[in-house]
Amino acid sequence: MREMDLPPDDLSAISRRSFLKGATQVAAAGGLMGASAPQDAAEPPALAEVETLSGSSAMELSVNGTVQSVEIEPRTTLLSALRTHMDPPLTGTKEVCGTGSCGACTVLIDGQPAYSCLTLAATCSGRPVTTVEGFGSPDAMSDVQQAFCDKDGMMCGFCTPGFVVATHAALERSPGADLDELKYELSGNLCRCGTYPHVFDAAQAVQQDRARGGEGR
Amino acid sequence: MSHSAKGSPASEPSWGKRSDLDVLNRDIPRVDGPVKATGQAIYTHDVRLPDMLWARLLIHPVPRAEIESIDLEAASEMPGVVHIEALKESGDTVRYHGDDAVLAVVAAETPEQAADALREIRVKATSLPPVVTRAQALEDDAPVVSRRRNADANVGRANERGDAARADAALAEAVAVVERTFEIPVQHHACLETHGHVVQPAPDDEPVTVYASTQSVGGTPRGLARTLGRDASRIRVLTPHMGGGFGSKFGPGLEGALAARVANTTGRPVHLMLTRADEFAIAGNRSGSRQTLKVGADSEGRLVGLKLEADKLGGVSGGSLPGPPYIYTVADDDAVSSKIRSVHTATDGSRAMRAPGHPQASFAMEAAVDELAYLLGMDLVEMRIRNLESDVHHRQLRRVAEEIGWAEHPHRDRPGTAVNGRAVGIGFGVSVWGPGGRSSRCDVTVRPDGSVVSATATQDLGTGARTYVAAIVAEELGLTVDMVEARIGDSDLPPSVTSGGSVTTGSSAPAIKDAAHKAREALEALVADVLGAPVGSYSWKGGRVSVRGDASRSLPWIAVCALLREPLVAQGEFRDFLHEGRIHGAQAARVEVDTLTGRVKVLKMVTCQDQGLPLNRLALRSQINGGMIQALSYGLLEQRVFDEQDGFLLSDTLDLYKLAGAQEIPEMVALIDDEDERPSVCGMAEAPVIPGHSAIAGAIHNACGARLTRMPFTADNVLETLYGKI
Repeated sequence: MREMDLPPDDLSAISRRSFLKGATQVAAAGGLMGASAPQDAAEPPALAEVETLSGSSAMELSVNGTVQSVEIEPRTTLLSALRTHMDPPLTGTKEVCGTGSCGACTVLIDGQPAYSCLTLAATCSGRPVTTVEGFGSPDAMSDVQQAFCDKDGMMCGFCTPGFVVATHAALERSPGADLDELKYELSGNLCRCGTYPHVFDAAQAVQQDRARGGEGR
Repeated sequence: MSHSAKGSPASEPSWGKRSDLDVLNRDIPRVDGPVKATGQAIYTHDVRLPDMLWARLLIHPVPRAEIESIDLEAASEMPGVVHIEALKESGDTVRYHGDDAVLAVVAAETPEQAADALREIRVKATSLPPVVTRAQALEDDAPVVSRRRNADANVGRANERGDAARADAALAEAVAVVERTFEIPVQHHACLETHGHVVQPAPDDEPVTVYASTQSVGGTPRGLARTLGRDASRIRVLTPHMGGGFGSKFGPGLEGALAARVANTTGRPVHLMLTRADEFAIAGNRSGSRQTLKVGADSEGRLVGLKLEADKLGGVSGGSLPGPPYIYTVADDDAVSSKIRSVHTATDGSRAMRAPGHPQASFAMEAAVDELAYLLGMDLVEMRIRNLESDVHHRQLRRVAEEIGWAEHPHRDRPGTAVNGRAVGIGFGVSVWGPGGRSSRCDVTVRPDGSVVSATATQDLGTGARTYVAAIVAEELGLTVDMVEARIGDSDLPPSVTSGGSVTTGSSAPAIKDAAHKAREALEALVADVLGAPVGSYSWKGGRVSVRGDASRSLPWIAVCALLREPLVAQGEFRDFLHEGRIHGAQAARVEVDTLTGRVKVLKMVTCQDQGLPLNRLALRSQINGGMIQALSYGLLEQRVFDEQDGFLLSDTLDLYKLAGAQEIPEMVALIDDEDERPSVCGMAEAPVIPGHSAIAGAIHNACGARLTRMPFTADNVLETLYGKI
């Protein structure tokens, strides 16, 4: 992570080039942010020679199976990209803490759960992102979403999208998790209303349904 | 034109016999579950309007300061900035951490641009002594931070009740006496959706639309009328969904006023939601307290005397604490005395929070009851039953005692001791609440095509209100819940109450019932021409109306509605006899204490709660669980922390201000007290949050003899209580 070598006072001078080399090698392979993506990652240019860019550029995000070009800045989080830069905005993913403490912004990136508030959108180019909207709609809910409704795994509902995504991921990773393991798997998400017991009920109902051969939609 | 369901009804509405109910008193999945579970529910945070500006606040980081200058020049030239204004000027003072510390507001084209501009505001200020703790506020030369008129100290006038000499005399004769000082920190509501609004300005002849994360969709227009310079009737407030309130979201607050002002000034929609740090700084809290409580009992375990001296710590507000004795009865009323005062600090004022003042009072009182029982060698449950007047509490305590395994517990009249550093204990607590009910209205519309709408300007804080707005009508008309559309969260709908103090259900449910009943009787008047029986002699079940006692004379719902030539609108009002507002609860907790590390693990919590007719058992159990969990979180984890030297709020993230997560959740049992057969409804959300932390503290004491007098029950607190200063 070359930019981390910079003295703190120079952080504002991080160029898009050094940023890309350091932080987004995976994304760069996907042709991140247009034509000026780095061609040679071998030699870091001297700071004085770097062209410092700011402002927004277009990049492609693949969200819920649809590829969309969005105008973002290097510092734009995936959460902000989803909620304020997509058209139409995808507001199911919630912002609660902004510091990776609560899990309300949980999405899947490459199939793995991640806090979108701590993920730079620029690192997601070429990587499939799945948000709560990608799992189902009110008329065609996933089994997890249906179980959250049946077991009343929500009160105010603001944490619910994060819990739904986290539950999908937990049951993917640990399909046979016992209650303690489920609590561990869901410990990255906070609920203020205190709905946890019904969330656990929902997760266990899905486990039972899938074990009986029910289709995990 | 429409049919109107007026005139004198043939019968009064009633909740009916419980055995006859098809919809209510059952598990009803909430009607907005699918939109919430799929991310389609639109909260105020999620509102996106064309041309919308994003606004942010600059909050001064220390509670007290003299402002030398606020330089907006660089910030105003930042990209995307459309509006920027300072709320203080040179020579002004920041008087407390809270809305008075808001120095500026910025509105820009994107949220990132607003944040960037905020960072470019240059503030020169001189910090003043912070006054963030009780001790600082009470120092002889403490600056006066109280906002009371003519205040010359940070202490409010003490509310003194009873005769201290009589209490002293009774305590002198008591067989057992306990005296303790309890310290309770400030708790935050920590609503997951922060406070805020989206304001869409409009020409003078059109209504202004305001999306608000509020507990008072009906009251918010009045709160914004002056700022918007128009009558409240021309402000429409929408709260389609809201992400938690817990008592902190009654008025628009400074953030709402600023959103309205910026929208007025710029002529563009403005999105102003607090950041998480803002929320901790200016969005209210549950007041802390310091209570010295002395209670005595006779040899039979009856409480005979009580003295309380308490300081409420509500920052610049007064704080809450009900007078003693809390729930329990002291044999002689005259042997109770109390002196309760507010001590003001330069911190954000307390607001209502789920049972304001009650969890604080519970913590001290339940501790005293436990300790007196041990002094007398008496069973903790028996001690409580002897000092509680209500039979309801007696049966509820026995019920939770049975569920928690009290009879098999080895030490019920004395604390236990640790074995290999592990100790298990059980504790108890009780609650009461008077939820009340008041004026509320509801319109039920039945259309010729069979569709039904139930509409009232209430709001669903997560309680499930939206679901019973539909379910009550479905029950009355023999329909399924999905056949009734619930319309709430809109100030243009028939007015209902502000959701505070658990009044929502007791107010709105009777009005919904009344409207549904009027609609039913109006429909029966039409059906009478076809089926021949008079109004009042029909049964509405399973989507059909039939003559009671003659199932062969019936019509399906769709045929009934086809008799309408235009929509039928039935207007319901609050009916006092459909609600009753006195409720009770009892809780028990089982914990394990690691006496080597001080770690407390709650193993199980049980509540038994009454509320009259349960409208929706599924949502009710969840709300009881939620009360227990918030109390667990309050007891084990939550604490606002200020830096005492400089006054910085240290606990302003969800990493540093801890909330209970999945791994803290014990086995939970929410028992609905079905022995309560009152034919009435009421809200109950306040009650189950009252005694949970008290029961946990009692269980810690019962486990290992450590009586914690300070919250939260962190490991260091447990170790210090067990072994002295660590």
